[in-house]
Amino acid sequence: MTWLERLVLDLRAARARAYVRVVGTFREPQGVLLDAVFPNLGMCAFVLLYRSLGAPKSFEALAVVGGVMTTFWLNVLWGMGAQFFWEKQNGQLQLYFAAPCSRMAILGGMAVGGLAATVLRSLVGVALGVAVFHVRLAAFSPWWLAAVFVATMAALYALGMMLASLFLLYGREAWHTCNALTEPVFLLSGLYFPLRTLGAVGAVAAGLVPLALGVDALRQVLMGRAAHGLFPMRLEFAGLCALAGVLLVLARASLDHLERLSKREGRLTQRWQ
Amino acid sequence: MSVRLARLRTASWFGWMVEGNWADPVLFTIYVVARPLAMALMLALMYRAVRGHAAHGAVFAGFYVANAFHAYVDRMIVGMGWAVFEEREEFETLKYVFTSPMGLLTYLAGRSSVKFTLATISVTLMLLMGWFVLGVHWDWARVQPLPLAITLALGLAATLFIGFLLAGWSLILARSAIVVLDGVSLGMFLLCGVIFPVDLLPRPLQAISLALPFTWWYEALRRFLLARPSTALLAHWSDLQILAGLAAVTVGASLLSLWGYRAFERHARRIGRLDQTTLF
Repeated sequence: MTWLERLVLDLRAARARAYVRVVGTFREPQGVLLDAVFPNLGMCAFVLLYRSLGAPKSFEALAVVGGVMTTFWLNVLWGMGAQFFWEKQNGQLQLYFAAPCSRMAILGGMAVGGLAATVLRSLVGVALGVAVFHVRLAAFSPWWLAAVFVATMAALYALGMMLASLFLLYGREAWHTCNALTEPVFLLSGLYFPLRTLGAVGAVAAGLVPLALGVDALRQVLMGRAAHGLFPMRLEFAGLCALAGVLLVLARASLDHLERLSKREGRLTQRWQ
Repeated sequence: MSVRLARLRTASWFGWMVEGNWADPVLFTIYVVARPLAMALMLALMYRAVRGHAAHGAVFAGFYVANAFHAYVDRMIVGMGWAVFEEREEFETLKYVFTSPMGLLTYLAGRSSVKFTLATISVTLMLLMGWFVLGVHWDWARVQPLPLAITLALGLAATLFIGFLLAGWSLILARSAIVVLDGVSLGMFLLCGVIFPVDLLPRPLQAISLALPFTWWYEALRRFLLARPSTALLAHWSDLQILAGLAAVTVGASLLSLWGYRAFERHARRIGRLDQTTLF
């Protein structure tokens, strides 16, 4: 197979996996509604906490931006990281390995499909912020917004691919690890407060968790100085691009390594593990 | 009675096996401890970020304590729905639970005891962290032990019965059960004013909030533990009236939940959902 044929095959596999993800998301109409509204309720509570504490309005905007980004992290954890767990339970995981395409293409398709579905949820969050909480933002550059958003998503979903590889080997242990990564990552990413409040821990988190750097950069694009940013926005953008590249390489390596290991230990087809 | 207790004990033991047999104790402890501590720290950092502008620390203490006790709602209500979902979709054993002499309701009650234990660990950790690290203190001389004990019992009863309702709902839900269960917990977090006074909600939502037992529970906890109400909406109610209100709403919600559970169960049997896997 030539490299061009391989590329076409991988792109087709990615498109097919993305299609399933999008169709699956919209399969249950009531599910779409609930999926769009429920994850944003936590954000509303945090905005009202700031209101009850008498905080300046900019903190409410800060919580809205963070709340909108939670939907992407949850999708990365459960829609990407845990997806191989679902597939394994379904007895479908082995089909991915029997297919001639690359596993990265399947994961890439999953990421694109998941991202498309998650955008709907995030738009509901934005609508809630603007219509219900009357959040106002400063004038901002849509180009910078798009660039920072794309870089954040690339880094986040590359991390999701790495997490997914864990499920090739582990079962519920990785599942519960995903569970335990929800609130602690919200904390380390400063989703509902300025990352700067974490001090040195915030700086370390920014280097490890792409969500932290992404949220901080997005807030700076949208809110300017009121975002209380940790580092200059352009530096954070460069950091995000670097993180995306490194995580993609690591995801590829960990996928290959764990695939070999799980085949050797016979765990690929093991259900109820 | 002794047979029922034995069944409950068996269900609890089984629940513990399901919850705890997947990892070594160290990993399990990290899993149990990480979430509540992260949430507690997040609230503390939000308060720290706005301390220069914000209200008195006692206001924050009221929210912090209610958030700690919300772990019961979070763990038990969501957990009981998840138990149904797991049994049906993942392990494909729900039909066997139905055909066993134990029955689903007793089984769920037993499983909830494990969730209760895990939630108690979370609450204890959050309160200890609040007291020793974050400065969330209360005056022991002003704590009202008897009303506090009654409040705790009523709140836990409400949690158990509403857990039954969600477990019943999970019987008929397909894939969306995951979102619904987490969403209901978040809905309670918002509507019951865990981390803000319910006065800030729009009027129609305030009415819904007052129909939920947890709104009264958190208000009663703040009064009997911290000696400080947080909601202007209930400020003119005496302590006794708050306790009576909590009891009334809890009894009403429990009866409604039990009725709802049975209705969902009947419906699930009728449409053949008890052994229908939709996800795995």
